[in-house]
Amino acid sequence: MSEGMPLADPAVPMAAAPAGREEKGRGVAGLLLRSPAFLLGAAILLFWTACALFAPSFVPYDPFADDLLNTLQPPSAEHWFGTDQLGRDVFSRVLVGARDILTIAPLATIVGTVAGTAIGLITGYFGGWVDAVIGRLLEVMLSLPLIIVALLVLVALGPSTPTVVVVVGLVFAPLVARTVRAAVLTERHLDYVAAAAVRGEGAPYIMIAEILPNILPPIIVEGTVRLGYAIFTIASLSFLGFGVQPPSPDWGLSIAENYGVLVGGFWWTVVFDTAATASLIVGVNLVAESLQRALAE
Amino acid sequence: MPDRSKCLSQWREGRTELENEVIDQLLTGRLDRRSFLRHGSRVGLSLALMGGVLQGLGLAPIGRAFAQAKQGGTIRLAQITPSGAIEPVSVADQGGLLPLQQAGDFLVMDGPDLVLRPMLATSWKPNEDGSVWTFTLRDGVKFHDGRVMTADDVVASIDRLADPANGSNALSAFKGVLSKGGTTKVDDKTVRFSLDAPNGNFPYYVSSDNYNAIILPADYKGDFEKTFNGTGPFRMVSYTPKVGASFVRNPDYWAGPALAEKLELSFYADQQPQVLALLGGQVDMIQQVVVQGSQSLFDNPAVKILRLKSNAHRQIHMKNTGPFADKRVRQAMALTLDRPAIVKGLFRGMADLGNDSPFAPVFPSTDTTIPQRGKDIAKAKELMAAAGMSGGFDVTLTTMQLQELPAIASLIRNAAAEIGVKVTLKLEDVGAYYGDAVPGKSDWLDSQFGITDYGHRGTPNVFLAAPLLSTGTWNSAEFKNPGYDKLVASYIAALDPAAQKAQAGAIQKLLLDETPIIFPYFYDYLTATSATLQGVEGTAMGQMFLHKAGFA
Repeated sequence: MSEGMPLADPAVPMAAAPAGREEKGRGVAGLLLRSPAFLLGAAILLFWTACALFAPSFVPYDPFADDLLNTLQPPSAEHWFGTDQLGRDVFSRVLVGARDILTIAPLATIVGTVAGTAIGLITGYFGGWVDAVIGRLLEVMLSLPLIIVALLVLVALGPSTPTVVVVVGLVFAPLVARTVRAAVLTERHLDYVAAAAVRGEGAPYIMIAEILPNILPPIIVEGTVRLGYAIFTIASLSFLGFGVQPPSPDWGLSIAENYGVLVGGFWWTVVFDTAATASLIVGVNLVAESLQRALAE
Repeated sequence: MPDRSKCLSQWREGRTELENEVIDQLLTGRLDRRSFLRHGSRVGLSLALMGGVLQGLGLAPIGRAFAQAKQGGTIRLAQITPSGAIEPVSVADQGGLLPLQQAGDFLVMDGPDLVLRPMLATSWKPNEDGSVWTFTLRDGVKFHDGRVMTADDVVASIDRLADPANGSNALSAFKGVLSKGGTTKVDDKTVRFSLDAPNGNFPYYVSSDNYNAIILPADYKGDFEKTFNGTGPFRMVSYTPKVGASFVRNPDYWAGPALAEKLELSFYADQQPQVLALLGGQVDMIQQVVVQGSQSLFDNPAVKILRLKSNAHRQIHMKNTGPFADKRVRQAMALTLDRPAIVKGLFRGMADLGNDSPFAPVFPSTDTTIPQRGKDIAKAKELMAAAGMSGGFDVTLTTMQLQELPAIASLIRNAAAEIGVKVTLKLEDVGAYYGDAVPGKSDWLDSQFGITDYGHRGTPNVFLAAPLLSTGTWNSAEFKNPGYDKLVASYIAALDPAAQKAQAGAIQKLLLDETPIIFPYFYDYLTATSATLQGVEGTAMGQMFLHKAGFA
């Protein structure tokens, strides 16, 4: 129990905290806008988001339309990125291909972050045997390679977009939980928590209304980092055939469908999708890193 | 032109009615040279006699001339990893059947041209109705352990496969054809097969087509992997599961020792490393390449592609429920596919068009006068409207992540969209698709709309039976048509080529009308070898007969 806590005026800490956050928020925004890394990352993200939203209406060809008499054509004025094994226009497919990953990855990240935050709050706040039991379970999960766990579950349930969202979200939850728990541990002994307890607030209220707002920065950073990994994991799952289903122009899936013809010299069927995936991950990571720095300052 | 009547009486002498029927059909032009060889070999005409007949008629003789390769050397062969043990009774995949067939021989070899050739049996004859077949065995054939092969070994080997208790992979072929106890010894060099029902194609069932049917010693204990003890041209030196096997030539081989001194098999999980190994000179041949992914081999002067016409195909089944219960809808779906474009675009032309029945052009009994179904969207829309489905419907197409299947699934989706049918794709790994291979536990059998792969067979019998008969165990389409069942029974029993063709034509027409299954194409079997390797004889089953193979 800390001493000197203004017990008679519970509004004090509650009023002080938001004011501090707002001020900090303005500072963070300023720092970010002055960071070239952030601006570059955000530009990449914006570009792909715009593609995901609007590409179907401006791409030169229907990304699904096959043309069996023009398969595996190299890049040309007609087909900027060439055509794939079914004669589909790779340029149109790469642009529209952003759509699936940019729907699934953020959803999976939200699932993972929300679940992980909940677990982290509970283990960090209650401590004791709750922390010990859940903590060990999380360690077991973390000791297994993510992609293997995801594959196992997807094999059992069968691949579909909602399953991928939930599975990737849940395999990320322990990672988020670990970060959140650490943040909660530093907060739970602070005076405002004790004050709330003394006021007679219940555990859920304290966790959600008191502690959570104060540990948002690390959660936001963790969420952005997870988004990068989610893109990577989902692309890998699609590549392995357990993610997005054909005929989606999804990048991971397109790479899987076409990497077999690489040996034949048909590099354009794979290179552009790979570059797109890489650029999106780099974009997300630049944003995540800049956020982390800005929030730390 | 030689004196035909003189030749004719010579050829006819001592021949059975069935054999003379085949000769007559060649003479009257109802069989061409190729069909004559296939049908002749099936009913037991010797190759020497058929060669004489062809020569007498001024037609090209039998056999392709191979440039003579040199003695010695090691043939290094890349192949797909066997999925299980190399066990003659249970092998069920292309990876397993190749090592099996290096060490073991069949009674009959079904060559690349689908002409049956004597192997461990030197001749065979049916009785009047084709219900009993008698095979004469070769003299002086030795197993690798030095023992001489006799009729007892043949009876034991075939009976072992026909015995349901052994769960042999060959049961799918023998079911309803040959039962346990149907194989009997007449004397040391003669074996008789008493069939469950007349079967005009029986020699194919004990040929290399039935890849489990290598002849093993009568006292075989189920330990093939230890010794690979058979009568084949190569003796096993070492075998490491999942890695490879090496062999040396068998000096006592009944047809003389093989040209190559050694044979090394390397197992690969995937096609890409095999292609790279061939291009990099680490292997001399690849058992099978598929067009997708091996494009770099096709225009390469250092590589030879051996292309065999085959009846390997994909079946697109439409289960007899929901919208597919109306045959007009099934016909409409079949009319949306542009088959020539698929053959050209996906297979570089190395496939035959399918006409919605298992009768591939490669089968001698196929009636090639049945009109080919093509793409006709207008007619398809008419059929949909007549079926009250002009608004289309939604359906899920289930298939596997295997070779060109995802591509075909995407093409079907686009094609069906042209008549308003919205197809959602569901792709699974191969294991999940087949499941337990029984209704209720298998997406293959349970899916309403699915694509399944079928490997090459010597006769269409299995394709006609398992996926299409009312009692068929692989009947994903749930096709039940008593008229069809009757036609198939008479096709299977038909002995002479004209009767087989007539039944085949009737079946083709019925299936084209009912369209329970779309057969879009039959793709060629492609083997890649280095340009210097000669004399390789493959089959579209995946066997590679290397007895006469060697380097230039």
